Amino acid sequence: MTNRERVQAVLSFEKPDDRLPMIEWASWWDKTIRAWQEQGLSRELPWHEIAPTLGLDQHIQYWLPHRGPGCPGPKFNGGPIMEDEESYEAILPFLYPEHGPDGQLEDMRRRKAEHDAGAYPIWFSLDGGFWFPRTLFGIEGHLYSFYDYPELYHRILDDLADYQLRQMERIYEILTPDFMTFGEDMSYNNGPMLSEACFDEFLLPYYKKVVPFIREHGTKVIVDTDGDVTKMIPWLRRAGIEGVLPLERQAGVDLPALREAYPDFLFIGAFDKMTMRRDAEAMRGEFERLLPVMKTGGFIPSVDHQTPPDVPLERYRVYVAMLEEYASRAVRE
Amino acid sequence: MNTELLNEISENLQRGKAKVVKELVQKAVDEGIEPDAILKEGLLSGMNVIGEKFKTNEVYVPEVLVAARAMNMGVGVLKPLLAEAGVKAEGKVCIGTVQGDLHDIGKNLVKLMFEGKGLEVVDLGTDVSPDTFVQTAIEQNCQIIACSALLTTTMGVMEEVVKKAEEAGIRDKVKIMIGGAPVDEAYCKKIGADVYTPDAASAADAAVELCRSLKAAG
Ligand code: B12
Repeated sequence: MTNRERVQAVLSFEKPDDRLPMIEWASWWDKTIRAWQEQGLSRELPWHEIAPTLGLDQHIQYWLPHRGPGCPGPKFNGGPIMEDEESYEAILPFLYPEHGPDGQLEDMRRRKAEHDAGAYPIWFSLDGGFWFPRTLFGIEGHLYSFYDYPELYHRILDDLADYQLRQMERIYEILTPDFMTFGEDMSYNNGPMLSEACFDEFLLPYYKKVVPFIREHGTKVIVDTDGDVTKMIPWLRRAGIEGVLPLERQAGVDLPALREAYPDFLFIGAFDKMTMRRDAEAMRGEFERLLPVMKTGGFIPSVDHQTPPDVPLERYRVYVAMLEEYASRAVRE
Repeated sequence: MNTELLNEISENLQRGKAKVVKELVQKAVDEGIEPDAILKEGLLSGMNVIGEKFKTNEVYVPEVLVAARAMNMGVGVLKPLLAEAGVKAEGKVCIGTVQGDLHDIGKNLVKLMFEGKGLEVVDLGTDVSPDTFVQTAIEQNCQIIACSALLTTTMGVMEEVVKKAEEAGIRDKVKIMIGGAPVDEAYCKKIGADVYTPDAASAADAAVELCRSLKAAG
């Protein structure tokens, strides 16, 4: 089976012939790669070849740009680039760049034949209705904006949705990505960062505008939100979302329980990165915990968000070997 | 005393109505209610409700922030009066996100909850070195050092803070609290810190307890 077929099979709750996909869905943590280079990983390797070199399947991700060149940046990490209606108007010429994704679309055209042949799955990511306004209002201003600038918030999400719909039309003229994510990070260790009422007022209309279009094309719609997403899953389902990642164990996410509650929901991630900092036995225990869900389909096991820098390369190799073992067992047993 | 007015302050605070809270606090002052009573029974009691609801996920981060903002508007009115009346804070804390770490949403919430319990807080911001924590505690007479870390790569700095505090000989006078996503009770024990809590409201409860026990111990 090809890489792409495996991903398509799992995301449709069918069993791949040989094994589940083996991916690290998140891009590498730069500190981890630097540490591994000290431990012998070739420094010559281009970024996208690290995964296949380490024995993982290749996948191609495109994160659509939402801000164009010349857009003012924050004065400090996580700071605002606008505050109110007026300053939104002022930066508007730099947002939603119509030609921003041109390079990515060109790359898609180049890769189309390989994608059709199954060499890799292709997915794309969009800044979501929580994440994108955060990049404008700044981390803290954003949390106040639901109360301070509700109308402006709605306006931003309308503009965002329109832009994303236009750009996705362009993508679908070229090829059909296998899945996509909304980058959100709207949950943390103690659950959602915002209330259900806030979600319904602000995010739901946005998702209702964008999600059906994506689903019509057969691309699976997944939300990327760290932390404990348990309480949010019903909210996301109401919005037409088909799955979540990364299902952070350290935040208390109980994947087997979620699978029982939602037999038809898609999951990616869930492998407790903290076990990788311990030893092989801890990692095996983690695979044993996930194996029953791996067998149910609709789940791609993967590190629950970036392998940490203190995991030695040698241990990562052990992890990959174990992933292969369990990815095979999941379809055979 | 006009308890209705104090309740009104508390309720508006819980809804994040900063302007209204400020006006009502001024009204309470004008009516001659003791500043200490306005603070405790109006503002802090309102913030307490928000803290409890935050613990149980009845309210979320934005609601806590707007409530805390309203509280601070009210406190602003009271501050000179409280100073005049010689009302002292429950205790003093320095707080920061540890070196190498820029996550500060949680740290800021803990700070606000501390303030909501009447503690005085020195905010050291993010990327704070162990020396800065310890020096600040010494120079500013803090009873508590509170460290936040969100990364497995930075949580080790907390152990350094404990060590530095020992070296500086302040371990019997200063309590060390830790928190953040990768931290837990076991880790707190392991590094010899005093208190871990999983959320900001519990952190504030624990901090008040610590200050009281330090006071009792003289
Ligand atoms: C928002 C976020 C960010 C934002 C931070 C913005 C900001 N100004 O804070 C941004 C996008 C900038 C970011 C960056 C990164 N992040 Co980040 N981030 C998060 C996320 C999604 C939420 C954190 C948050 O804000 N929570 C909300 C607050 C309210 O909760 P809290 O901080 O946990 O605080 C509560 C309690 O813990 C407690 N508490 C907090 N502090 C204290 C202190 C004391 C004394 C006490 C008693 C209690 C206490 O009370 C708070 C309220 O109840 C977490 C996921 C998660 N599970 O937490 C990842 C997460 C922490 N990030 C992670 C990573 C990897 C990163 C990056 C390294 C990514 C990268 N490769 O570049 C960078 C690091 C940058 C740096 N040097 O710090 C990983 C860490 C993994 C690991 N191995 O440790 C996490 C866990 C994501 C994941 N799924 O793995 N991140």
